[in-house]
Amino acid sequence: VSTAEPAVGRLHRTKRRGGSLEAGLKAALGVAASSIAVGYALTLLYLVARGAGKLGAIALYPVPVAGVDNEDAMRFLVAMCVFGILAWTMMAIIRWAATRAGRWTAEANRGGHVAVVAAAIGGALLARDHLPRFLVSLPSETTAGGGVGPEIFNTIYFAVLSTAITLPIGVGAAVYLARFAQSPRFVGVVRTALDTLASLPSIVYGLFGFLVFVVQMKAGYSLFAGAFVLALLNLPLVVGIAEESIHAVPQELDDASLALGATPIQTTLRITLPYAWPGILSAIVLSIGRVFAESAPLIMTAGTTVSRASAYSLNPFRGGETLAVHLWYVNSAGLAPDRVEVSAGTAAVLVVLVVLTNMVASRFARYGGALGSRAKKATK
Amino acid sequence: VAIAEVAKANSARFKAASHSRLGEAALRGYLVACGGFVVATTLAMLAYLAQTGLRGVLEAGIGQLVAGVVWKPEASSFGGFPLIAGTFASATGAIVLGAIPAVLGAVWLTEFAPEPVRRVYRRVMEVASAIPSVVYGWLALIYLVPLMDTIAHSLKGEDAPVSGVGLGSASVLLAIMVAPTVMLLSLDALARVPSALRDASAALGASSWQTAFRVSAPYAWRGLLVAVFFGFARAAGETMAVQMVIGGARRLPKESFLFSPTTTISAQIVMDMQDARPGTPQNNVLFSMALILLVVSVGVVLGTRALGRQGLK
Repeated sequence: VSTAEPAVGRLHRTKRRGGSLEAGLKAALGVAASSIAVGYALTLLYLVARGAGKLGAIALYPVPVAGVDNEDAMRFLVAMCVFGILAWTMMAIIRWAATRAGRWTAEANRGGHVAVVAAAIGGALLARDHLPRFLVSLPSETTAGGGVGPEIFNTIYFAVLSTAITLPIGVGAAVYLARFAQSPRFVGVVRTALDTLASLPSIVYGLFGFLVFVVQMKAGYSLFAGAFVLALLNLPLVVGIAEESIHAVPQELDDASLALGATPIQTTLRITLPYAWPGILSAIVLSIGRVFAESAPLIMTAGTTVSRASAYSLNPFRGGETLAVHLWYVNSAGLAPDRVEVSAGTAAVLVVLVVLTNMVASRFARYGGALGSRAKKATK
Repeated sequence: VAIAEVAKANSARFKAASHSRLGEAALRGYLVACGGFVVATTLAMLAYLAQTGLRGVLEAGIGQLVAGVVWKPEASSFGGFPLIAGTFASATGAIVLGAIPAVLGAVWLTEFAPEPVRRVYRRVMEVASAIPSVVYGWLALIYLVPLMDTIAHSLKGEDAPVSGVGLGSASVLLAIMVAPTVMLLSLDALARVPSALRDASAALGASSWQTAFRVSAPYAWRGLLVAVFFGFARAAGETMAVQMVIGGARRLPKESFLFSPTTTISAQIVMDMQDARPGTPQNNVLFSMALILLVVSVGVVLGTRALGRQGLK
């Protein structure tokens, strides 16, 4: 403890340590708190390990399944992701070891990135028919051996669709609040609206989407309805973080730009937003994580089924379930005999996706804000 | 010559800027429209829900919805009390079991833990709070429910009509789910405590334990309260995970408070939504129940937010 203490504290170290009762309490608290974190960490590891058997079952997979559009393209993409992640992990390990030994150079770095991309594309070309069966096959209602291919596709498609709505509106609102707000009353109204949105239970979003899209517009269950609802759900998060990172842009930069004759809008587009961009990206990545996790609103707007013919269709006005919805559906309505195994695999895919998005988000966040490496480079 | 050239270029650029006034105005308008969109959708959402929900309230009667004990929409019996009670009981249980350890853990982490532990701990909690709720629900379904079943039978006897599903499992599950969120918010609140306060406390001769619990935590109490209530709102609004472990019986817990199946507002909405045709009273009352949930969680969160803002000033 003492290393982090200020000089003042060190003078009274014996007193700072407190009596034996306090020391005991402190130790007990420490053990309890650490065991909580260890418990969560072990749970995550367990989830991945439990599903790994399902994911690792590589099987020869009959070349394209009849009557499913875009199936081969999807298989190619999945293969690219799988091999890309594997290669990237290997490169990260090598980089870690080489950095330790002081042998990691800029050329090695570039070579490593090329190798990762090459491994992803090469692996996809060569082994796209030998993928883990679970990741590419269609789900099955009643028989064993169902996969989550369409669910993975839908989950990612949802992320793309809802980001396409959240990004322009969320960043626009954040820029407005941080830089262009003129009427304090309107700003107050917008902030209250955002606070309200942030506090609504997700089921309420689902009911709203159901009322508007399914009942009023009679459009039935659709990916678009689900994506719109998720975009609304993510707005408070994105606006909040984006506004914060815009506020973190040093005032001098904006002032300098304005002094050079740029208009406020030009300053925003060319100076403020590029500078705050890493923070905004990390907000977007976090919101994608919530798209992966959300289930209740999607059940009401996008339904719980996957149709065989349009499993990989890009049409946003069809229904479809995500991984999270599938996990719920398999356990509460599914009849498949291997539903525990299917659930384990689905949960493992979800956990891997969530951990990846969190890693990406924190990587982006590191470059953002006043303390980021970008700012350091600029002010060196 | 160089200066003159730069000046010329600059004035040209300035002219170009003033030429695009129209674009400028359009972009400004767009930004205002984004703000307007947020307000408009929020209002639309509240209006839609209120309209349908109030229709349901009129059809069923407010007294029946809040105090009636038989929830059978298909038989036009809309007693919402079991749903409301289930929601509040499970959320309260979650807060008691989950929020207190989370807040204490946050205090330990900010005040006593070494820096590397703090960083790793935070990352673990960030990932844990981002894990989909259905994943927690599934884990609870295959591990927690059998465990609770054993506990229930060893407490009440082998042949007692008790089971692992119910408020007990739901509370434990919700506690596990909201603890990371509460802890992250508590960490943020404790990080806002000025370090000058801690130094002053140390200079006065306080031990680190005294500093933590008599200076830091009291200073951050509003933030900690916001964290706890936020956790409550999240627990009350949680749907699918709870639906998986609470049993889905549309009545108050009968044989045993903790160990017999009951239901919550959001779980029941999802289940009944699949049967009720839109526009019928059976469907409208679901929106009324959602309205109750909405009023509670918006009230809780906005109230504590206001409290937190005051605290920052």
